[in-house]
Amino acid sequence: MNKEDIFKKIENALKTVLGHDNFQLSETTTAHDVDGWESVTHMMIISEIENNLNIKFKLMDLMNMNSVGDLVKIIESEL
Amino acid sequence: MEFVKKLHQSIHTNAALNAFYIEETFYTYQEFSDLINAIRFAIQQTIDEKEKMVGLVTNNDLQTYAAILALWFEGKTYVPVNPDLPKIRNQKIFELTDIKHIIDSSETTVFSNYRVIHSSTIASYNEDLSLKNIKENDLAYILFTSGTTGLPKGVPISFSNVNILVNAIDKEPDFNLVASDKCLQMFELTFDFSVVTYLFPLLAGSCIYTIAKDAIKYFYVYKLIKEQKLTVLTMVPSIINYLRPYFSEINAPDVRYCSFGGGALHADIAKEWSECLPNCKIFNYYGPTEYTVYSGFYPYHKDTNTKNHNGIIAIGKPQAGTQYIVVDENNQEVPTGVTGELCLGGGQVTPGYWKNPTKNKQSFFFKAYNEKKLRFYKTGDLVFKDEEGDFLYVGRSDFQVKIRGYRVELAEIEYHAKSKCEKKVNMVALDLKNKLGNAELGLAIESDKFDFSAVLEYMKTKIPDYMIPSHLAFVKEFPHSINGKIDRKKLKTHFDIN
Repeated sequence: MNKEDIFKKIENALKTVLGHDNFQLSETTTAHDVDGWESVTHMMIISEIENNLNIKFKLMDLMNMNSVGDLVKIIESEL
Repeated sequence: MEFVKKLHQSIHTNAALNAFYIEETFYTYQEFSDLINAIRFAIQQTIDEKEKMVGLVTNNDLQTYAAILALWFEGKTYVPVNPDLPKIRNQKIFELTDIKHIIDSSETTVFSNYRVIHSSTIASYNEDLSLKNIKENDLAYILFTSGTTGLPKGVPISFSNVNILVNAIDKEPDFNLVASDKCLQMFELTFDFSVVTYLFPLLAGSCIYTIAKDAIKYFYVYKLIKEQKLTVLTMVPSIINYLRPYFSEINAPDVRYCSFGGGALHADIAKEWSECLPNCKIFNYYGPTEYTVYSGFYPYHKDTNTKNHNGIIAIGKPQAGTQYIVVDENNQEVPTGVTGELCLGGGQVTPGYWKNPTKNKQSFFFKAYNEKKLRFYKTGDLVFKDEEGDFLYVGRSDFQVKIRGYRVELAEIEYHAKSKCEKKVNMVALDLKNKLGNAELGLAIESDKFDFSAVLEYMKTKIPDYMIPSHLAFVKEFPHSINGKIDRKKLKTHFDIN
């Protein structure tokens, strides 16, 4: 899976959980930039990505994740 | 007022130590003290001695905490509002309390109709100010919760109420904070649980760690535990629900106390969580806002102290100075082992809901206890007392519903469903009104859809058929109120029963 595919997967997870596609993702995007992305929805987005890609994130990685770019890197390391 | 004097003293004695860790920055007690003095000086310059209540916008910064102590040292009451809530609701709170002045650390304040002390741009003031005289009945704070009539409901707490709470916790031999402790403060300051998470550490000279504003709360709590090596945690059970999938990665040997409150603590998750904290004492606290945060606790231990009813950990015994009685509909005490409504008596009972005589008549009553007339608060929680004097939580009295004429405890349904289900997910039983106005049972399951039939079959062997839910709803994430409690009203909208 290349970077573009991973971005697509993240976009889909966001759409499913947040119920809108009113965002443009880049490596520097943070939760703060996207409407409705906060603590509780974040947990849902993480679980949505885990289920869709059949991976399990590590708490250590999740704890230090600050941007979509970080999320992409973690997904790459899990695949 | 004793505890205010102790606070004042602690801030001076511990001047060189760290008081706060906020947004990745440490602040010493000296810096805290300087800011308190500056805000006090501004209060003295702007607010009349007789004007007691002052609005406080609760940001996550040193200024907001300093404002609380500045108001207390001036003998005034803080009325906190959360800047993330609708402005109209916050203005209603200010109207109800006749607020004229607000302390706000925000860059630009939204409350332009009030006189505002901007605590983030305040001039420094280096002299130490003496404490104002505080009377017992003067109010320390008023918190507003959602009221059933749509108007926010105010709970005033007096300085005397807080003082009695502090004395009761001081008497508890198993809980002693020290200056080297590092304590989690994860609550919004409009939530009463926050009072114990800043007050007790400040009295002990410990350091308080708050949650960064834009952080993902659950992971940030873990980051603080891991990187800052927190020693004292105070949390609502819903926090560990979210961390549960990652428990196997958590090992926090530095944590020595973990206090729960603000919701039912379930035995299964308590056990798993306590395995993440190998050197920790766990307290299951009980106490409503109306009784000044805490009224008592059960000391949980995964091997030796696991007393529970329907999987909900016991709430234990009342703390020093507090009386628990269990009553029927006529406020008459029921015998040991019989379920009734828990009522709390003692010095921590609020003076009464703010300007709400109707509600006060319903919620408070006088009763002779040990030959003294004592004022009791009706909690709305159903409990029973066991032979050892421990109190066990059964459910909310408003969660005791009638189905086809039978009295049903919703928590019991949840217990049986959870105990059989292989997927460890949260479940909430709800009473739903059908077209005819009759109650039917629904079970909300926090998960993607899965085959639930085996669980229902099992339940039929354990409980009467009128207690078997006739409606199921799989909800990906339960809606929560701002305080982290499950929003049952919203959850009901996931069912379509007609």
